[in-house]
Amino acid sequence: MAESQLLIPLHVSYIKSLGDSKDDLAYHMTAHLRMNAIYWGLTALCTMGHKDALDRVEVIDFVLSCWDDEAGGFGAHPDHDAHIHSTLSAIQILLTHDALDKVDIDRVTRFILSLQKPSGVFAGDEFGETDTRFSYCAISALSLLGRLSDLDVEKTVSYIRQCRNFDGGFGNTIGAESHAAQVFVCVAALAILDRLEEVDQQTLCWWLAERQLPNGGLNGRPEKLEDVCYSFWILSSLSIMRKVPWIDADKLTAFILSCQDPESGGIADRPGDAVDVFHTCFGTAGLSLLGYPGLVDLDPVYCMPASVIEAKGLRKDWQALHRRLS
Amino acid sequence: MTSEPDAPLFADRPEWEDVVPLPQYENVDPLAPIFYTDEYKDATNYFRGIVKTGEMSPRVLELTENIIRQNPAHYSAWQYRYKTLMALKAPLDVELRLMDELAVRYLKTYQVWHHRRLLVTETREPGPELEFITKSLQEDMKNYHTWSYRQWLLAYFNDDALWSDELNFADQMLESDIRNNSAWHHRFFVVFQSGVRTGDENREEVVRRELAFVKNYISLAPNNASAWNYLRGILDHSATPYSQLLLFVTPYSVPRSPDADLVDVIDLENPPPSMGAQLPCVAAIEFLADIHENEGGDDIMKATELWRSLADEHDTIRKKSREYRIRDALQKVQV
Repeated sequence: MAESQLLIPLHVSYIKSLGDSKDDLAYHMTAHLRMNAIYWGLTALCTMGHKDALDRVEVIDFVLSCWDDEAGGFGAHPDHDAHIHSTLSAIQILLTHDALDKVDIDRVTRFILSLQKPSGVFAGDEFGETDTRFSYCAISALSLLGRLSDLDVEKTVSYIRQCRNFDGGFGNTIGAESHAAQVFVCVAALAILDRLEEVDQQTLCWWLAERQLPNGGLNGRPEKLEDVCYSFWILSSLSIMRKVPWIDADKLTAFILSCQDPESGGIADRPGDAVDVFHTCFGTAGLSLLGYPGLVDLDPVYCMPASVIEAKGLRKDWQALHRRLS
Repeated sequence: MTSEPDAPLFADRPEWEDVVPLPQYENVDPLAPIFYTDEYKDATNYFRGIVKTGEMSPRVLELTENIIRQNPAHYSAWQYRYKTLMALKAPLDVELRLMDELAVRYLKTYQVWHHRRLLVTETREPGPELEFITKSLQEDMKNYHTWSYRQWLLAYFNDDALWSDELNFADQMLESDIRNNSAWHHRFFVVFQSGVRTGDENREEVVRRELAFVKNYISLAPNNASAWNYLRGILDHSATPYSQLLLFVTPYSVPRSPDADLVDVIDLENPPPSMGAQLPCVAAIEFLADIHENEGGDDIMKATELWRSLADEHDTIRKKSREYRIRDALQKVQV
């Protein structure tokens, strides 16, 4: 049965319970995403106005326990090697909790910059997989740390520019197909660097609007299935280009709400599927950008509470829908 | 085989006796502790043990394969496996055959593809890879990693033999699914984005060929967003005015006329919508509106009427975007 409201108390208790469900086989396999999972959970809680549902000190201690002293970055889990994605999540968590002073900013900055390749793209770790996702991780993290001035902006932008395709979208590497999640990382990265002129906004906004399907949900590429997470990737990109109204907000809201688990909480990729914290984060994030009543403003560029970004003086010129009163 | 479900734990194997397994935590009380299956805990304890001593030996390959089969996203295991292969100067063709199996099994795991990239960078034998990719795309014809690996391979090695059959390949993929956006993208990548191939030196001829190609596909299935995007891509790339397509697009932008099938002179350059295609086609109306908007002057009103028909009737879910275009165009007229 489709829900007509966001079940905030249920989602809060779902996120709180995540640390307890260790019998779940999937849980065992996701250690490599544990830092990210905590960021997703915390961000969803912030969006729903329940930031304190996870204990602040425990969260900060966990983040610090993932410090990889050899590399100078954060792993996804204690004893895991540092990775740029978990490093960004760690910074986001600490900043949300106003605890960035616990980080050796010089070392993290060096770690991030060490992952840039001569082409300008970033690798995720010393293993060397490259992707515009990692460029975003680097740019966002450096910006949050106040170290963007250490970045070779031209080189970085040059790679992203080469990932732009004829349909206006961006791929994960040069030559790769446009994909809505890659559009987000590239557009948000360019927004942080004040280089949005690199985007063919008219073509891209149209391509993004075309992602909405008759059932209200959004897909990531033509002829693919809808998925709740694209609500965020696409709405955030459109917020940055100030075109959120191009999406049918009522239909997308109804679609996201229909993906809730009305018994145990959490949001899934599609109605009836198993929920997870990733889709719970990006479902609530999407609803926030759509002006869903009672939610807290989310900054679409950094995917963090807007108040945190504003306090750092990092707010860019984005525009979401006005928050509705009911 | 280490991957057998009933294989003994490493802790119970005499040949691993000399390794000191390292459990996950020492004096850490994390927010989110993980309780693994015994097999996984056992293998990763031994993995931490050998990482600590820096051992790189054949049995490390066995151990890392075991972990990867249990959890293909374990990036440290992949990383250490690669370093070990290099240190041992292990035969990489053997590794690639193992990867053939793992790639298909874990098609959506980033690490599987990146590992392959590293191996092929070493072997410098991209030829057999194309064949492997073609086979693996049969499992999932739109897999992003697989396609992106193919594009990397072509661009990285960039030799003529490698590219020679690529257009045929893209054709075959489109023949099996006319709506596969990955295949359309690939065609654009091959034809326009990767330098000029032998035989394709006459660019005007290439543009003509591609226009004929995409028109034919649009005529077979007019409501195919990927094909229309491809058409726009060709025109933008070659700076061809959209208005040159007016004759072709118009029949797609209106309801089927009752006497359409009576036309006996077929214009080969402008194939008509196939029988039974749903008309009018949203993408065609959009395209026509763009032509009118570009013409400017009185044509702007024609464009706004087309957008209005899309907003109110043919594509109501995107009403707001068309109303925006209408306002935007009218403002430009007033200025």
